[in-house]
Amino acid sequence: MKKKRHVFKFLSLFLALGLVLSACSSTTGGSKNNASKPKENIGNFPLAVKNTKKPVKDGSLTYGEVSDTPFEGTLDYAFYTGQPDFDVMQFFQEPLFATNGDYQFTQDGAATYKMSNNNKTITVKIKKNVNWSDGQPVTAQDYEYSFLVIGNKDYTGVRYGDAIIQSIVGMKDYHEGKAQNISGIKIIDDKTLSITFTDANPSLLTGLWAYAMPKHYLSDVPIKDLGKSDKIHKNAIGFGPYTITKMVPGESVEFTRNDNYWHGKPQLKTIIFKVVNPKVILQSLKKGEVDIANYPTDQYEAAKGSKNFQFVGKVDLAYSYIGFKLGHWDAKNSVNVMDNPKFADKRLRQAMAYALDEKSVGDRLYNGLRFPATGLIPPSFASWYSKDTDPVGYDPKKAKALLDKAGYKDVDGDGFREDPNGKKFVINYLAMSGGDIAEPLAKFYMQCWKNVGLNVQLVDGRLAEFNSFYKMVENDDPKVDIYGGAWGTGTDVDPYGLYGRDVPFNYSHFVSDKNDQLLKQGHSVKAFDHAYRQKTYVEWQKYMNDEMPIIPTLFRSVVTAVNNRVTNFTVDPADVFVWSEVGVSSDTPAAE
Amino acid sequence: MLKFILRRILIMIPQLIILSVLIFALAKAMPGDALTGQLASSPKMDAQTLHELKQKLGMLDPPYVQYFRWLKGLLHGDMGMSIIHQTPVTQLLAGRMENTILLSAAVLILSYLIAIPLGIVSGRWTDSWADKMVVGYNYITFATPLFIFALLMLFIFGFVLGWFPTSGSVDIRVENGTFSYFMSKVNHLILPAFSGAIISTTVTIQYLRTEIIDTKIKDFVKTARAKGVSESNVYTRHILRNSFLPIAAFLGYDIVSLIGGSVFLESIYGYPGIGQLFITSIAQRDFSVVTALVMISGLATLVGTLLSDIILSAVDPRIRIE
Repeated sequence: MKKKRHVFKFLSLFLALGLVLSACSSTTGGSKNNASKPKENIGNFPLAVKNTKKPVKDGSLTYGEVSDTPFEGTLDYAFYTGQPDFDVMQFFQEPLFATNGDYQFTQDGAATYKMSNNNKTITVKIKKNVNWSDGQPVTAQDYEYSFLVIGNKDYTGVRYGDAIIQSIVGMKDYHEGKAQNISGIKIIDDKTLSITFTDANPSLLTGLWAYAMPKHYLSDVPIKDLGKSDKIHKNAIGFGPYTITKMVPGESVEFTRNDNYWHGKPQLKTIIFKVVNPKVILQSLKKGEVDIANYPTDQYEAAKGSKNFQFVGKVDLAYSYIGFKLGHWDAKNSVNVMDNPKFADKRLRQAMAYALDEKSVGDRLYNGLRFPATGLIPPSFASWYSKDTDPVGYDPKKAKALLDKAGYKDVDGDGFREDPNGKKFVINYLAMSGGDIAEPLAKFYMQCWKNVGLNVQLVDGRLAEFNSFYKMVENDDPKVDIYGGAWGTGTDVDPYGLYGRDVPFNYSHFVSDKNDQLLKQGHSVKAFDHAYRQKTYVEWQKYMNDEMPIIPTLFRSVVTAVNNRVTNFTVDPADVFVWSEVGVSSDTPAAE
Repeated sequence: MLKFILRRILIMIPQLIILSVLIFALAKAMPGDALTGQLASSPKMDAQTLHELKQKLGMLDPPYVQYFRWLKGLLHGDMGMSIIHQTPVTQLLAGRMENTILLSAAVLILSYLIAIPLGIVSGRWTDSWADKMVVGYNYITFATPLFIFALLMLFIFGFVLGWFPTSGSVDIRVENGTFSYFMSKVNHLILPAFSGAIISTTVTIQYLRTEIIDTKIKDFVKTARAKGVSESNVYTRHILRNSFLPIAAFLGYDIVSLIGGSVFLESIYGYPGIGQLFITSIAQRDFSVVTALVMISGLATLVGTLLSDIILSAVDPRIRIE
């Protein structure tokens, strides 16, 4: 039966491909009639599960980590790299601050904070009853210690690159070994400390490093050995709602209730975390072997209508895009230089965006669970996302008109447009391999561009593997004109880290004075004013949609499958205490 | 014989050195490094820190410096640090090796337990219905890809019938070291081991069958029969002994498969082992893990070949190694 389903999946993929191609090759743009069944819309998914039954006492729940590889087991925020490790940590580690729907700190978490009048100093007060799971109090020294670790020259992780961490007064001297301590961090008493920054940045309140490290437990390990210490691998401790009581490396973890949890006694007695292969997750859910799992959206169709579990979902903090190589990265001066004339005309870039039928891609390849992106800030940032940014929709007529106006005309009658000088115009497109959809997607985009008369070819005639892709993009390989990538935004809305003039991840190398100015305004002291910041980012989204150095293509949804017996579970970003509140209304999971 | 073994062991040294150079050069020739993937997902990184980090991890040293550093570590039993796992490679491998050896040994033993009787039956009673069944079985298992078969087994025996656990190498809820812990391990092992074993019997069965059929018509068998040796004695004493030779020769190579692991079994059954580690380390450019694993399997192959030769000369007096 399993085998059959595979064949079916394969067939449906071809079918989908056929439908898609026909959608884009019709010149009228008609993707209207061939939608045979209603597509999913993430807006229809609830954030919280519906289960009004009373939770049982001392229940147990199984969390399925959907992954085809074991988890690495580096269980500290300063050192971890993989998403599975992050998912393990959510049960026993906790940031000091709770956050609201905009991912901004509130006063409800393990610590409260106060900003100084000039917004350059934050004073953090850890609540009295917050203790590590070994009973020791969480102190100001613990919070300071995490900065001392990350800033240390022997630190082996990747978190020091964060601009906010580097903007702490005295961090640079400490990092270079000129100082023993970070002068900007002052311990006021055992539970209070203040951190002073070189400039006031509203992103502090979302992006500030919010994790304390148990200094009493870790400080006897030299920082250069901390990353490999068992104290952050097998025997990690935290102050979250549960504690690790047992681990089978790479495959499962047993958590037991932390009875001293500061935010009240957690509902469940135990949580089992285990890795489940994506190929069997549906069966595991149906059988009730897994209560909660982030469900792979490409399999959603097969799971729909299951009786014993329900879905919750939201828009992910990520977007897919196609970028234009507009220049190069000057590594010597650490600055982006926009000097590639090939795509200098923004009408060409806009036309290429108008040519893409994203709605069809989302509906047919992703069953509606990915949908056309409207700009460079996803709707998961409720306050900053702008609905009226004049999104670039699918409009092949407009695309053609723009190309005509810009002088890209088919002079020799081969069906493809030549550049304004009458020379052959070929665009080399770098697309990444991975997953079943990568190939049809790239082909589909090329077809869309062909429909408006643009000759787009894959770099080297094939999809590029992940590492080769990034190597070519990072090194500004001259073979690459445009490239299709995706960014996870993290919870900090500030796009500077991806589009600033002096950041290496600005792979398109788009720079302009207006962009500099808007990005600067967005994290200036004035932007502590919510309305001002909102206005700035709306303007920036509009500006980028007009300049179009990056075509935002798709936003994505994340859905979570939850067994019917689970109570109080939610994916609402504003509910940070979800794991201590989750319960089960029956001792045995619902099975199909 | 002793001289031969010594000579072979001495030859291994230059072989391993050449292997190490090749592995290292190839690993370094792959595009990207271990930081590529990590930063692509959460790009909070400025150019200077990235440079510092690469320097700290020794990625910016000239290749020969990196090679000799690696070689020096290797000679001291230190295979470097895994950047992805933030763990010394030796420790990482030790953890995974236990699972892999357990699973591979189970696969190996089961596959011989299945293959040898089937091979004997089909060789001895050629063209009987039993032989046809075995040959049919052989064609089917040869043609079925492991990842489909493993999924099918998991679906039937794990999910539909519910006889076996569906994921992991042990139930986390049982106490370490107890009898139920051991039983849980066995219980988790059965399904992946059988899936692997059934798919890997083809070669053994086929060899055994062909050898028996070949030997059956040899002159010394005819002589034995003519002398009036009973049919069962002809088979056990004369035919089987000779037919097992090529299979015995394979035993040495099986050692390599013991530590190599199986990507499909490990991934589908959520059984953390070496095979998967190897593949993901290549994808993530975790070079120290990749090079360590290739070196180990290279060494195992050399030792395995040697063992095969020794076994062969031990069981077949006609082959004399000087």
